[in-house]
Amino acid sequence: MTFRTRLLLIFTAAVVVAVGLVGLLVSAGIQYRFERLESQRVDALVAQFRKEYERNVQEIARAVNGIAASDTAVDIAAKTDYSAYNDTAASLAAAHGLDLLELVAADGTIISSAEWPARFGYKEDWLTQHPDWKSRGAFLKREELPDGVTVALLAVGTATAGDRVLYVAGGQRLDRAFLSTLVPPAGMRALLYRNLQTQFAAADLLDASGSAPATDAAQLRPLIERVKTLKREETNSVGSGAAAETIHALPLFGLDNDLLGVLLVASSRRELVELDAFLLKLGIGVASGGIFLGIALSWWATARITRPVRRLAESAGKVAAGDWGATVEVATADEIGQLARAFNRMTHELVEQRERLVQSERVAAWRELARRLAHELKNPLFPLQITVENMQRARDQYPEQFDEVFREGSATLLAELANLKQIISRFSDFAKMPAPEMHRIQLNGLAADTVQLFGPQLTQAHIVIRTELDPHLPVIMGDHEQLERVLRNLTLNAIDAMPQGGTLTIRTAAHETGVRLEVSDTGQGLTPEECARLFTPYYTTKTHGTGLGLAIVQSVISDHKGRISVESEPGKGSTFVIDLG
Amino acid sequence: MWSRFRAGRNVGQASWPVVALERQAPRLAPRLALRLVLRLAPRLVLRQAPRVAPRQARRPVLHIAVVMVCVALAGAATRPRYGGTLRVELHGAFESADPPQTGPGMADLARAFNITLWEGGRRAVYAADENAAGGRPFVDSVEIQLARPPRDQSIDLELGKTDIVELGPNEIRRQQPGRRTWQSQPVRVVALVFSRRIEDFRVREALALAVDRAAILTVLLQRQGEISGALLPQWLSGYAFLFPAAFDLPRARSLAAGAHPLSLGVSDPGLRTIADRIALNARDAGLTVNVAPQGANQGATQGASVDIRLMETRIASADPSRALAALAAAFGLPEPVRAETPDALYAAEHSLLEGFRVVPLFHLPDVYGAGPRVKGGPGITPLGEWRFGDLWIESVHP
Repeated sequence: MTFRTRLLLIFTAAVVVAVGLVGLLVSAGIQYRFERLESQRVDALVAQFRKEYERNVQEIARAVNGIAASDTAVDIAAKTDYSAYNDTAASLAAAHGLDLLELVAADGTIISSAEWPARFGYKEDWLTQHPDWKSRGAFLKREELPDGVTVALLAVGTATAGDRVLYVAGGQRLDRAFLSTLVPPAGMRALLYRNLQTQFAAADLLDASGSAPATDAAQLRPLIERVKTLKREETNSVGSGAAAETIHALPLFGLDNDLLGVLLVASSRRELVELDAFLLKLGIGVASGGIFLGIALSWWATARITRPVRRLAESAGKVAAGDWGATVEVATADEIGQLARAFNRMTHELVEQRERLVQSERVAAWRELARRLAHELKNPLFPLQITVENMQRARDQYPEQFDEVFREGSATLLAELANLKQIISRFSDFAKMPAPEMHRIQLNGLAADTVQLFGPQLTQAHIVIRTELDPHLPVIMGDHEQLERVLRNLTLNAIDAMPQGGTLTIRTAAHETGVRLEVSDTGQGLTPEECARLFTPYYTTKTHGTGLGLAIVQSVISDHKGRISVESEPGKGSTFVIDLG
Repeated sequence: MWSRFRAGRNVGQASWPVVALERQAPRLAPRLALRLVLRLAPRLVLRQAPRVAPRQARRPVLHIAVVMVCVALAGAATRPRYGGTLRVELHGAFESADPPQTGPGMADLARAFNITLWEGGRRAVYAADENAAGGRPFVDSVEIQLARPPRDQSIDLELGKTDIVELGPNEIRRQQPGRRTWQSQPVRVVALVFSRRIEDFRVREALALAVDRAAILTVLLQRQGEISGALLPQWLSGYAFLFPAAFDLPRARSLAAGAHPLSLGVSDPGLRTIADRIALNARDAGLTVNVAPQGANQGATQGASVDIRLMETRIASADPSRALAALAAAFGLPEPVRAETPDALYAAEHSLLEGFRVVPLFHLPDVYGAGPRVKGGPGITPLGEWRFGDLWIESVHP
């Protein structure tokens, strides 16, 4: 991943997070404000609904008191025989729009009942137990009717004729028809739960069209049961999405302060939800636009920011590739400009240091070469000097032995001169390493030939040879003679490293970019310092040799575009690893 | 009604000669003689010939003479007139292909009228029969509106849209003072009839004891009719008071223990309020009775889907034995033995009722109201039979 891509991702993430956070904060703020406004609206509507309910209550009380004050009621009150008035309540109830109406004598005996005409003559003792009905107004009461028990909103009036009293108890059922008289504001609806049973009964939940749907019953049950338990107003939201509603549950208490019903005023949250949805869509649109714009600006900004960095990287790459003269254009005075200047300064110093290093290394190389030459040449020169001195001493002191000494001395001189010639030849070979001639080579066959060549010598040195050759090793391009020389040098090194015998392992393997050749011994091993200097020309850990073997190996491998390394620990042997393409 | 008559209460409007005649009526002779006189005294409103003491019955000639004088005076004031249409409204629908041929009511018109138009459930028109055996009726035709609710009939009568209407208990109370009404003897029997599947007689007796007949008679029937535990009314049998009709709620509760809910079928909407009251009384006794409205034409053998039926049937004969047999048949009871003596008749009726398969509740009269245009009459007999041939129409002066 490029620096620019990473920077772009960071910018994008920052934009998204920032826009998201701002969106959330704005959304939460708007939501809070809207909820407050909705709450205020619902409170106002509920208050309006309460007024509507109170108006109905007052109308019922007014109607009942009107009946009580009518001539009909006064006439009945004055009578002693009520048998002729059995159907009076029904006609009065119909005329005044009441569902329920009972005319009750002073002793509590029903004279006429609109809701249950057959109930004449029965007692309504509760009417006679309240001292002042006029001040009581309308109230809720459980009413037993022919078709079951219901809750009714009742008012009681009294008609008097002299000392005779007639109770007029009338009102309306709290049912679908009553709910339909409550005209709720737009977006609201009213439901009524009649608390007629101990347990919640879905059939007792009514709306203006009759029994409320089962979904309403299921949703409202917890709220109703909470109101039944706490006996106080409760508010809750039910449903989801556009069907969500805020429900105000108002407990309705009866004459004896018993909970007879729960009036549920449902306010639709549709408008709020739709507004929320619109704002959400708008927010998403704005956020998307903001994010898109942010990404575009990030793209431009990252391009602007990373251009000098990219140039710096390109220059660094050139330096890494060996172009030590690469520089970066300094266009700004900011940190990137400072970095460019530092880079230019660094490459400049690197070039200078490299030149100094090359110079010093050249000097060191000459010194090492001189030292090695001196050392190598000193060994054969000393026998030459001794032999010549012996020959001079014999001619001067022992002339009779001079011939014999001369003969022996001549042989020694020739041998040492040959040795000198060989030393010079090696140096010459190292100096004149030819360029490899590339051919198709099977490395396994080369390894097998080497093993066969050194077989007797290894046996004599008590070294066990082990080969692990990959049968699927691909053919590589290389110089057969030079690579054979590499294997020979490594094999000889291994034999020298195991004077007490051991195991020599030659291993080949294919890998992704070419082949690998490993030559391992079980000898003394090398220290890290020895490993570091092992391929330096004229460096050797042995008492004999020129120290050019591994230098030649490295030179050959380098000419084949390969790489050689050594893995070794003292006492655990060494492994030379060659990777060829 | 008879007791009301004897108490001097008059439900009709009569001129002074007629009133005088009425005052003398207890002393008058047998029914046929009296009816002959009344035919000549159209202003007289008299519905039942009084029962007279034997001593008074020995002097009929004197009384007839007195009546004749009165009639002559009355006739001078109002003479019968021919012509016109008598407008009648009935509650019954009679949704049949042909007009009724038996029973009181329209079938009685066949004596003096011929049917000319029949629209079952809506309207019937009868024309005067010029060759009627008792002579041509005064009116040319009788036009009957069917299926009119009692309240509407009463209003139509008030507004002069009709001449004769049926009056229910509540409508009687609402009539203007002086309104002419004709009331028969209690000829309709209202009774509870248990189906065969209610085998436990204790349940049947419990319901019989739970019904507060007095309250129903006083309030719902406006004291029209009589409480009775017998099939035959007191006026016909003379022993009806011997059958118990008491209200005994504690005993009803003890008998009703463990009873299953019962269904009470009622085919006549006019009886619905009584059925509701009975259901309420039954609930006080521990019986659950659910009122189930039924079709109007379901007879004794029909309506098997309900446990109890509240039925009303008519006494069609003045012969007690025949009347009992007819009632037994109507209520689905076994045919009683033909009784020749009151004791035998009582025994036969007692035998019919002892299992509480049928619980008689009330005997109710037929009551009609007549408008001011209607003269003559009464238009019905003590058994509720129509005698519209004796009526004529006069224009009403404002």
